[in-house]
Amino acid sequence: MRTFLSLFKKEVQTCFLSPIAFVVLFFFWVLSGLNFWWLLVQLADGEPLTRATQQIFGGLIGFSLLVIVPLITMRLFAEERKLGTLESLLTTPLTSLELVLAKFAGSLVFYAVLWLPVVAYTVIQQNLSPVEAMQFPDFGALRAGFLGVMLVGGLYISIGLLMSSLTSNQIVAAISGFALLAVLFFSMMFLAYTSPDPLLRAAGQYFSSYAHLLDFSRGIVNGWSVVLYLSTTAWVLFASVRVVESKRT
Amino acid sequence: MIKVSGVTKRYPARLAVDDISFEVSRGEILGFLGPNGAGKTTTMRMLTGYLPMSSGTIEVAGYDVATQPQEVRRRIGYLPENCPLYPEMRVDEYLRFRADLKGVKGSARKAKINEVKEQCGLTEVGRRIIGQLSKGYRQRVGLADSLVHDPELLILDEPTVGLDPYQIRQVRELIKQLSEKHTILLCTHILPEVEAICERILIINEGKIVAADTEANLHRKLHACAVIEMEVKAGQEEVRAKIDAVEGMDIRNCSELDQGWIWVEIEADSSEMRVELFNLAVTEGWPLRELSEQEHSLEDTFVQITRNTGGAQ
Repeated sequence: MRTFLSLFKKEVQTCFLSPIAFVVLFFFWVLSGLNFWWLLVQLADGEPLTRATQQIFGGLIGFSLLVIVPLITMRLFAEERKLGTLESLLTTPLTSLELVLAKFAGSLVFYAVLWLPVVAYTVIQQNLSPVEAMQFPDFGALRAGFLGVMLVGGLYISIGLLMSSLTSNQIVAAISGFALLAVLFFSMMFLAYTSPDPLLRAAGQYFSSYAHLLDFSRGIVNGWSVVLYLSTTAWVLFASVRVVESKRT
Repeated sequence: MIKVSGVTKRYPARLAVDDISFEVSRGEILGFLGPNGAGKTTTMRMLTGYLPMSSGTIEVAGYDVATQPQEVRRRIGYLPENCPLYPEMRVDEYLRFRADLKGVKGSARKAKINEVKEQCGLTEVGRRIIGQLSKGYRQRVGLADSLVHDPELLILDEPTVGLDPYQIRQVRELIKQLSEKHTILLCTHILPEVEAICERILIINEGKIVAADTEANLHRKLHACAVIEMEVKAGQEEVRAKIDAVEGMDIRNCSELDQGWIWVEIEADSSEMRVELFNLAVTEGWPLRELSEQEHSLEDTFVQITRNTGGAQ
């Protein structure tokens, strides 16, 4: 546990020390600001709040995760391999599992920080909006929305981490992570929304993170999707542990 | 302390280490030599449990590397090749981080970090960022890291590579001091280093151990004959003829120096034949100003051993 904590602390530190982190923070915060502005515009046009809330979690920002997450995760293992520090890490008594979990948790913290302004926006809207209709009737949907972005983010981070563990080149890690996420995201989205076959459409609905994000932001917490995200994340992390253990040249 | 038996490492395309066995006893400083690509680093990595071996067993301090890697790693201080560090961290921060990973706890951690910083001459640079340190200081940070958990066995993979002569001397002094408390495996291809520090030498070439002994014994085994140098004032032809006539002596080289002096290099059955050469010079009336046995350097021995074994394949 001690080892894990000190690895975790170091991961969070390194995350915030890298210039990439600030570029990512800048673009994500600009995007989420635009998103909020768009939400207000829609509300002013008389759009009902429940529909508009989807804007906070879905929309542009949902798509941007495909690029943002691989940028956060690309250095995790690729940099250690490049520097040779993976060797000095793995010759101390720590286990590969601790290492993978610490890196995952560190990135998840950074990812959560990305979403902080969005939390602030919802608080602002709740307290400063002049009309009752623009206030959230209850925070359930919002909480579900944040749960959703954390679940989806966790899975994306684990996939990015796996890609990073396979190479010593950060760019390769980022591009392959993005490619894999994009294929998963868009193929399921197209199945879910454009397939003529109702069976395929249902299958797409089951697996599309875009559909899930929208569901969550409507306050629908589906046991199936929670289990799907947690188990897939665990499985991908386990695969990364195996990669770190076996790929050592 | 270390017991390696029948270890082989096979990569898909080549055999990196081929059935090697050796032992290192507690408190010993062993020099591990070999040309680049001979399998040194691979062997070090298997010793530390970083690379799995294809076959064979390695025991460190009584623990099997394959089945009890955690126990082994607790007892090894390893300085990998090229001394990998995190450039964005400060020296103190890095040493604290590494001490945590190695299970050095609480108040012991602070004391231990101060101790290794002093040992390695890092007290002044604790607040500096590693990426801004000179190569010599970085090497010392790596060394301090390998010492921080007070390991029984130190494995140093080319600890002085890239240092200036002054720094090399400092690191060597440090390693010598450390040998009082730790068993050391020093892996290098810088021969004077081994000559200066190590008690016993292991030479590896093309994945095989080709020699394992003390330096003096290695020389003795390899150089059954002695090489004698002589400078006399006489005609070259005359000297060649006279010396070749003596039983057990052959002229290897002969060249003119200035003012009628010539330099002769002779291969003799023993270094005691210097006496006969002296007597010869006296009876022939050759003025003699130099008569000495060539010292074998470890470099000669090394080149000869690795060339012989390389040629055999």
